[in-house]
Amino acid sequence: MSSKQSEPSSYNLEVKGLTISRNEQPLLEDTDLSFNAGSITHLFGENGAGKTSLMRALAGLLPLDSGQILWNQIKNTHPESNFNQDLLFLAHNLAMKHELSIAENLQFYSILRGRKSSLEELSKVAAELQIENLLERHFSDLSAGQQHKVALCRLVLETVKLWVLDEPFVNLDAKTRDWLSAKMMHFAKEGGVVIFTSHQAIEGLKIHQRISLSHSEEEAA
Amino acid sequence: MASFSKTAGRWFHQLGSPKWFYQKSVKWLPWLWISCLALFAFGLYYSLWASPVDYQQGNSVRIMYIHVPTAVLSMVAYLAMAVCAVIGMVWKMKMSFMAMRALAPIGAAFTLICLFTGSLWGIPTWGTWWEWDARMTSELVLLFLYLGFIALHSSFSDRTKADNAAAILAIVGAINIPIIYGSVKWWNTLHQAYSVTKKGAIDPQMQTPLFIMIAAFYVLFIILVIIRLRLEIMNREAKAKWLQQEVGLGQESNAGANG
Amino acid sequence: MFLTLLKRELMLARRNWVAVLIPLFFFVIVVSLFPFAVSPEAEFLQQIAAGVVWVAALLAVLLSLDLFYRGDFQDGSLEQLLIMASPIQVALSKVTAHWLVTGLPLVLISPLLAGLMHLNYAPNGAVEMNHTPIMMLSLLLGTPTMCLLGAIGMSLSLAASRNGMLVAVMILPLYVPILIFGSSVITASLANSGYNAQIAILAAILLFALVLTPYTTGKALKVAVS
Repeated sequence: MSSKQSEPSSYNLEVKGLTISRNEQPLLEDTDLSFNAGSITHLFGENGAGKTSLMRALAGLLPLDSGQILWNQIKNTHPESNFNQDLLFLAHNLAMKHELSIAENLQFYSILRGRKSSLEELSKVAAELQIENLLERHFSDLSAGQQHKVALCRLVLETVKLWVLDEPFVNLDAKTRDWLSAKMMHFAKEGGVVIFTSHQAIEGLKIHQRISLSHSEEEAA
Repeated sequence: MASFSKTAGRWFHQLGSPKWFYQKSVKWLPWLWISCLALFAFGLYYSLWASPVDYQQGNSVRIMYIHVPTAVLSMVAYLAMAVCAVIGMVWKMKMSFMAMRALAPIGAAFTLICLFTGSLWGIPTWGTWWEWDARMTSELVLLFLYLGFIALHSSFSDRTKADNAAAILAIVGAINIPIIYGSVKWWNTLHQAYSVTKKGAIDPQMQTPLFIMIAAFYVLFIILVIIRLRLEIMNREAKAKWLQQEVGLGQESNAGANG
Repeated sequence: MFLTLLKRELMLARRNWVAVLIPLFFFVIVVSLFPFAVSPEAEFLQQIAAGVVWVAALLAVLLSLDLFYRGDFQDGSLEQLLIMASPIQVALSKVTAHWLVTGLPLVLISPLLAGLMHLNYAPNGAVEMNHTPIMMLSLLLGTPTMCLLGAIGMSLSLAASRNGMLVAVMILPLYVPILIFGSSVITASLANSGYNAQIAILAAILLFALVLTPYTTGKALKVAVS
């Protein structure tokens, strides 16, 4: 159930009659979903149930077999919906270049968002995640956990309205997990929309909507 | 006018349904086979016995009756593939992509036959089995385009991606074919010394059997496309209930067949 | 936006400078093999120089494509770029960077190859003509088209399981027209005949490709990340 937060906002993501498939196997059929401003949605389900495919469809990457995705009542592929500018999609792969430094990687994405983050902003968020000494290092020099933290910095540095996060909690230490939960709740409170997948339950994270994905009935039929 | 567009719309819709096509096409095939065999019987008789011998080339001119139809169809097939690619991309019609995939090996085979018969023809007329003649060179490039398409389509594990990627390649190739042909022709005239003009105006007595043979090959081509398309449908819709019933798989259909 | 993307591509290329130089080495090495394989006689080499240089340039461009597309596809950057920028901009930035880093250096290094292939050889007593600038001009007009067309093939093959040779098999047939006109520019210059028509056609093909291919490459990139 989605419980409305105190701050009303017009942002909402609506999915109507969505059908998606992978390798011609239907994953979701004629599904309606709704994600409101200020809400955090937890998508869960077994491996292969189509969580990642749904996330990629919501991010506009996976073409839909049928149905549509509406961002503030406008189709997400329509330029007027501003969907791509409002969306931050974090996937399994971290989308960081090994040849560039942490600061260069993060600044590039913020420039694409229209505003280059300053070094102060970078050091502030890096300090919160204990990677402030690594800003000038190449991405390839970091450990896997540190690399993950770098990707999470984007959540703070880029001003968007919708987070689509695929397994953001995986391989995080307890401290970073709490940090991420706090950021997600803060973002929702400001009127953002959060959709994430996770295998485990996250302690201390207030979730407004849970969606369970299971293998479609197709197999049984 | 309105009724025409309505009929056209219905046709479009039905052709887009694998089930409709699969069930209907099986009824078309016998008629197509009959007309195909009749055309070939008549065409082969006309072209191999009843038509005159070329005063320069002798009997070897008869290779033309296979060479020219395959050359025509090798290009028609590519064009059809590109049209299917556009329809598939614009209207997201799965059947169109299936047809595109079904056309590729047939087109490649016709191209290969065209090149092979061209070589055979070349030995008595040019004294060599390969000449860098504009038309033959273009056919060779066309064969490369077909092979590139097939290679690309078969190297994806995800069929949807394969269809979309291969469709883009088919369209790019179709836009390029006239440019390639034009440039090869230009290049060929530059090296005039090596090229041999194949034929001048064609004798009407040769024209008629040639047209019959082209028609015969056209029908054969349509039959082959239908057969391959049916295979493609069976391959892709293997899990669909209607198809399992159609081929007599599954308990329900068995029971139905017995009753 | 385009400049931001281009700057990133160039920065990545600079960090990978060794990989960027490999196609240039390849270009020089392939051309220098021909005298061993056929004959070191100047007169003979001069005749095949145009074709050899052009074919080697085609292969060098094809082999260097990987650097600009594969990495971004594998680490997920490509989908981020396609979310935040338009596919056409992404395609154009990659093609531009690829040409600046590979195509242009090929043009600049080609006089060296003209020397190796005795392009300007003249028999005893004859006045030596300088054909090198014409060869550079043909490559200057041809290499951007190679990059534009190659980008389509590369983008299409990104998500395919088998690759390597796949791009070459798909794209080389499409290179036939520019190969014909490009090398014929040089041959015409050697024969002291006019080559303006060929230059004009090369330029026309380049413009045509410039208009049509970025959209197509963008589409192909979208398919790759789907």
